[in-house]
Amino acid sequence: MATEQELSDFLKSVEKRAFKRSMYHVRNEESALDIVQDSMMKLAEHYGHKSPEELPMLFQRILVNCTMDWFRRQKTQNALFSRMSDFESGNEDDNFNILEVLSQSANSEQNESAENQADRAQTLQQIEMAIQDLPARQREAFLMRYWEEMDVAETATAMGCSQGSVKTHCSRAVAALGKALIAKGIHV
Amino acid sequence: MNNQSMMQNRNSEQLIDAYGARLSAWLDPSANQIPADVMERLRASRMQAIAKRRILKIETATSVFANNATATLGGDAHFGFWGRAASLVPLVALLVGLMGIGVLQENQRAQELAEVDTAILTDELPPNAYTDAGFAQFLKASARD
Repeated sequence: MATEQELSDFLKSVEKRAFKRSMYHVRNEESALDIVQDSMMKLAEHYGHKSPEELPMLFQRILVNCTMDWFRRQKTQNALFSRMSDFESGNEDDNFNILEVLSQSANSEQNESAENQADRAQTLQQIEMAIQDLPARQREAFLMRYWEEMDVAETATAMGCSQGSVKTHCSRAVAALGKALIAKGIHV
Repeated sequence: MNNQSMMQNRNSEQLIDAYGARLSAWLDPSANQIPADVMERLRASRMQAIAKRRILKIETATSVFANNATATLGGDAHFGFWGRAASLVPLVALLVGLMGIGVLQENQRAQELAEVDTAILTDELPPNAYTDAGFAQFLKASARD
């Protein structure tokens, strides 16, 4: 069973990223804070007796659920329908071959160019905007898989879907991000 | 699926993962650029969550102590037999109340009918009542009885 100190340390270690993740989803500071607070309360209330090793996965799952609950509560907003409909894949541009771009990007010297040509802050802002424009499930999968560095199985558990779905969401997310950023002249 | 296509899939997955990791690495600094007021609210939320856990812990400990240190499993720990019986009291009170109202209304109606009958019987008989065939029949029947 996690001690009070362990629970506190755990929450402290995840709260910033949890807030940023929620911000990418809901694009509203107050709502993002509410989601994080709700997640923390639920973790402490229902799973405070669990061992420290179990807390990260539980928290990720709770955060996903709280975020989805937030979307469900937005009854009157069009955002609900536009984003919930994004659970299905959007209109993909088949002509855009992300693998080709990625293989070029991996071998080129352009990795440095983003830093040299543009301000880092501006690049970050563009990346954040591109992430915000992703469909909800793709954004969730991308952030958990790459930013939180969870493996495919963990991400699938947290999202409540199959590993195949996670891979599909991730590959579509990366393709969409690559396309959006390259269109803006950003080569990461 | 042949070996070549499996290799291709693996390569494309690796490329996607590598690009995803590179992109997300850009996000790392953003998590450290959170405004002070937001950080303060996050801290408050954390403290609130910890406090909630503390309250739950104390509540559990008290209930075990109150049961002579006998912890029992059960979904409805807060309500014993008497607790459940007590929860039926309002329902019983409602039923008794409804029955009382019914009896009162019936008594009131009987009282009203009795008053009307009394008024009719004690009133003087109008002379033209004797010309009424029905009343004459009533008098004959009464005389026979």
